[in-house]
Parts: sequence; structure tokens; C-alpha cells
Amino acid sequence: MIAALARPGSSPLHRTAAARKLAALAAIATLLFFVDAPAPLGFAFAAGLAAARSTGVRFAEIGSDLKGPAAVLAVLGLADWWLVDAATAVSVVLRLGAIALFAHAVTVTTSTAELTAVLERLFVPAERLGLLDAARAALTVTLAIRFVPLIVEEAREIRQAQAARGLDGSITALAVPLMVRVIVRAEALADAIDARGFPPERAVVAPSRSPEIRPDREVPTP
Amino acid sequence: MTTRDLGLVALMAAVIVALGAVPAIPLAAGVPITLQSMGVMLAGLVLGPRRGAAAVAVVIALVALGLPVLAGGRGGLGVFVGPTAGFLVGWLVAAFVTGFLAMVFEAPEKPTWLRTAQLTAAAVIGGIVALYVCGILWLAFFVKMGLVKAFMVSLPFVPGDVAKAIVAALVTVKVRQAVAIERK
Amino acid sequence: MSDTSPERAGGATGADPSALAQTIVFSGVSVVRDGRTALDRVSIGFEEARVGIVGLNGSGKSTLLKCIIGLVAPSAGTVAVDGRDALREARAIRRTTGLLFQDPDNQIVMPTVDEDLAFGLKNHGFSKAETAERVAGALVRLGIAPLARRRIHELSGGEKQLVALAGVLAISPRTVLFDEPTAHLDLKNRNRLRDVLHALPEQAIVVSHDLELLADFPRVVMIEAGRIVRDGAAADVLAHYREANR
Repeated sequence: MIAALARPGSSPLHRTAAARKLAALAAIATLLFFVDAPAPLGFAFAAGLAAARSTGVRFAEIGSDLKGPAAVLAVLGLADWWLVDAATAVSVVLRLGAIALFAHAVTVTTSTAELTAVLERLFVPAERLGLLDAARAALTVTLAIRFVPLIVEEAREIRQAQAARGLDGSITALAVPLMVRVIVRAEALADAIDARGFPPERAVVAPSRSPEIRPDREVPTP
Repeated sequence: MTTRDLGLVALMAAVIVALGAVPAIPLAAGVPITLQSMGVMLAGLVLGPRRGAAAVAVVIALVALGLPVLAGGRGGLGVFVGPTAGFLVGWLVAAFVTGFLAMVFEAPEKPTWLRTAQLTAAAVIGGIVALYVCGILWLAFFVKMGLVKAFMVSLPFVPGDVAKAIVAALVTVKVRQAVAIERK
Repeated sequence: MSDTSPERAGGATGADPSALAQTIVFSGVSVVRDGRTALDRVSIGFEEARVGIVGLNGSGKSTLLKCIIGLVAPSAGTVAVDGRDALREARAIRRTTGLLFQDPDNQIVMPTVDEDLAFGLKNHGFSKAETAERVAGALVRLGIAPLARRRIHELSGGEKQLVALAGVLAISPRTVLFDEPTAHLDLKNRNRLRDVLHALPEQAIVVSHDLELLADFPRVVMIEAGRIVRDGAAADVLAHYREANR
């Protein structure tokens, strides 16, 4: 399991429902899209900073959390400064910075469990539209979370074994064994998932627009 | 999708994440070049269009859930409303197109060099052309850079990505020599 | 049996096995995949509380187990568990027949222990309340209750194998199939699993390279190239197996 970016706390944002925060973030991002003047964008930036700080995270931590996006912004700002003018560069940086800060505030105050619940609610209408099977989609995401640490560990082991044999650096020597292991493991994993009774029987038979569950192995007709 | 497909998709998503955690070659402008985008190409080349795109969808879901799975430990909703969102969502298109072309080019009796070249072409058209169209459009309109500037800002990353496409093709050929796997 | 200590008495040869044990029947089962014959016209029945299966790698042992719960479809013949066809009624059979795989990392699908135990229970339709109860019960039964909220990737190999077994036992199966359960375990954990196996009231069919594990089983079967070549008391079959592979 990977450590989420969310942090525990009891700030006002922590206590706000996840769906509300997500909707607000989307609304802010959309609204700021239509604003170009530096002054209101500066205000938005300050508001974003305040929101991020209100979660309990100190300014220095906010800075270090966002150094990746900050670097990207710096590049874009410089590009605009060089190719257009200073005012445009400032606007772009302020707008994207404000959005990044508001997003940070939401990320830090919303747990993976809450977001997973929102995600699962989104699966339901998608399932009715026949786009996916909610149980399988949910399992796939959870499987990925479960296996990331293991696969990362395997990648590191392969790298170390390479280094010990003096083959350090070859991407192929890392990717090929990693992919082969994954493909072999997927076969065994599928057996285990089936053996444990997945998928659960539906209590109410859903309209058959959702994808057919086809077994890997052929079932002889009686 | 069968249970085996589920397993392949989930594990491929984990590989894409893992490739973002492997030490990268830092380039200018503070955005490191990692193998993660190569992982996206691999997803399409090895698993095929639908499962490859599904693997990317899982990675996107992990990002949305606030997990730091993108290269550099990035994640969370900020990515979706930031300048690189087009590239992230573009990964879906990249994996699908790459996988689709890999299936189209598929033929059992071809010399290795030809297969490698074709898979490289698939990875370039899907993992670079299609991807950058998505990424550049987002940059141009959401970040309001305009198409020309967005294009120019993205250009420096292309040579690295071409190299990754070649490696992805080589890896795919070797993997398929080691294990039998169909494309879906 | 030389060991008659109280803890062992209710194990392999005691505790009314007939109540739980299922009758598993292979009728002329052949499994051919990619030109390779994994099983060759196997006809055999299992109804004892303990059955051991030995054979070299690639002899068909794992395939045999997988046929029982319909993970592998025979190319010919049928497999039945208490009269139910393994393929057509796979779901019902998997409710009463668990399979412990060799590598627990392939068996554990959730990021935390309690979530993983709940996975099997939810699949079989247990309510939330029952699930919670059974998860707790299974963990206590195997002596790993403190691991309940732990993350899987922090556990040792032995702990993971016990978690996997807890997941299998939580649904109260009548039979547990073991596919080389001690293959990835160190000596200490191997002994721990041996003790768990001894005390298991459920029917157990155990594929193992670890011959000592099977030493006091009432019946052991030897497989070679997809065929049953020896079938009888542990002492006899194991001696034969050892001799054949010197």
C-alpha cells in the first residue's frame, strides 16, 4: 500500500464532505479559466494559499509538496515571458498556482477512503450505461494498490541483481524480467481470485447491458 | 474481461507506477525523464489496446485517489487541473493507439528487426504523436498558451520519448519470446 | 502413529472426519494443454480426512488440485465433488472447498489483512456482520489476531501464508486443498504450518515436496507424468517415492 498524500487533521476543510470539495475545485478551476487580469488572479492566488494553510500544513511544507508543479510553472512562465510578455507570464503563473494551491488543500484533507467512496459512486451510473462492471473495476484498482509496493520491490531487486553483475543501467534488463514476472503472476493471481469465489453473485439480476463475465476456461455444454 | 485480464491490467498499472519510481535521468527545467511514459507504451504493446488503456485508467484512478504514483511522487487532484493534465489523460489515448497499431502490425512470420521497427512505429504514433496532441491541446487552451507555444514547449521532450519507444519495442519483442501472451 | 500427545490426537486421524470430508471423484480425466499432457486418464476417488499427493515438478499435482475446483477444464473425463460437477457447479464447490496456493503473494488480493479476509466472505454473500465475525474468528484460530489491521507488504512470508490460510478458513470450507504449502517457508514457519495442519478438523488434500508433512497421513498418492502410479498408506508410498528418486 502506498502512503497517500492526505494528512490527518481537524481543520474546516477536513470536515467538509469530499464531493463538495471536488465540486468546488472543479468550479474554481473553471472560473479562473475565464479570468486574465493579474489583479483578480493575484487575489485568487492569495486565497489558494490561505486555503492550503488552513489545512494545518505549514508554508514551508506546502512549498516542498508543490515543488514539482512549481518547476513546471516556472518553465511555462519563462516561456511566456520570453515569447509573449511579462503580464501574460504573471497571469499564467498566478492562475495555475492558485489552482494548484486549492487542489493541494483538497488533497491534503481528503482521505483515500473518502475518494474511493466517491469513485465507487461514479461506477454505479457507468455500470448502468454498460461501460464497466463496478465490482471488477473496484477490484482492479484495489489490486493495483495492493501490488504496487511488491512490484516496486521486484524492480529494485532486479536492478540490484543487475548491478551485482555489472550490467547497471540497461533498461531492457530491468523491463523484460519485470514484465515476464508480471505476466506469470497474473495467471496465478487469476486462479486465486476465481478460487475465492469472485465475482460475487448479484442479489438482483441487473439488466444485461453490463459486460458478460466470460470465464478463461471453456465450460463444456451439458 | 476475464479474471486473468483483471490481473494483467492491475499488475501493468503497478508496473507503470514502479517505472516512475526507478531512478530517472534529470533533464533541464526540473521535470525528470523517467521510464513511466515507457510503461504506458509497454501497456499498449504487450497487452493490446483495451487492456493497455484499462491499465492506464487504473493509474489515473490512483492519481485521483490522492496517491503519489506519478513520477516524482506526484499525485492528487492537482494534476487534473494543472498544465500536465492533457498528457495524463492523453496516456489513455496513447496506450490504446499503440496497442491497436501493434495488433494491426501483428504477423507471426516476420523477421525480428521488422517486428521491432513496426512496434517502434506503433509506440511513436501512439505514445508520442497521439499523446502530444492531447497534451498540447490542453496546454494551448487550458493554459492559454496557444498552439504554437505549446508545441514549442513540448518539443524538447520528443527525442527522449523516441528513445523510449525504441526500447519499449525491444522489450516487447523479448517479452513475447519468453511468454505467450495475446493482445486484446 | 507414534505421536499421541493430546494436541495431536484430534488431528489427522481423529475428530470425526466423515462429517466434514467430501467425496472427490476423478473419472477418466485427461488434461492436455499446448500439446503437453498434464493429466492422463486419471480415475481416482478421495474421501479420507487426509490425503497426500507427491510427485516431481511437472508431474501434474497442481493440475489435479485445480481440476477439483474447476480452475482447469479437463480435455476429457469429469471431476465431481459430492456428486457436483466441478465445472458446472464450480461456484458451489468453491464455497465448500478452499485452495491454499504455494505463493501467498498470488493469493492475497487486498492491501490489508482484514480487507483480504473479508474479500472471500463478501464473494460468497456473507453479511457485513457475519464477515466481521468470521474475519476475527479466523485470525484468532490461527493465532494471528494482532495482524488484523496490518498492511500486507509489511508481513513476512510465513505471516502471509497464515493470512492466506485464514482467508480460506474464514468461509468454513469442508475441504482445504494445499498446493505445496511450505515451499516458501523457513523452518520455523514450516513447523508452524505443520502444527496448524495437524489440528485442522477440515478435510485436507496436501500436495507437498515436504515428505515429513505427509508422514502420518492415512493415504498418499504418487503421480508421475500425469498418471497415478502408487496409492496407499503413507509409509509405503513415501518409501517408494524416495526410492524412485534417489
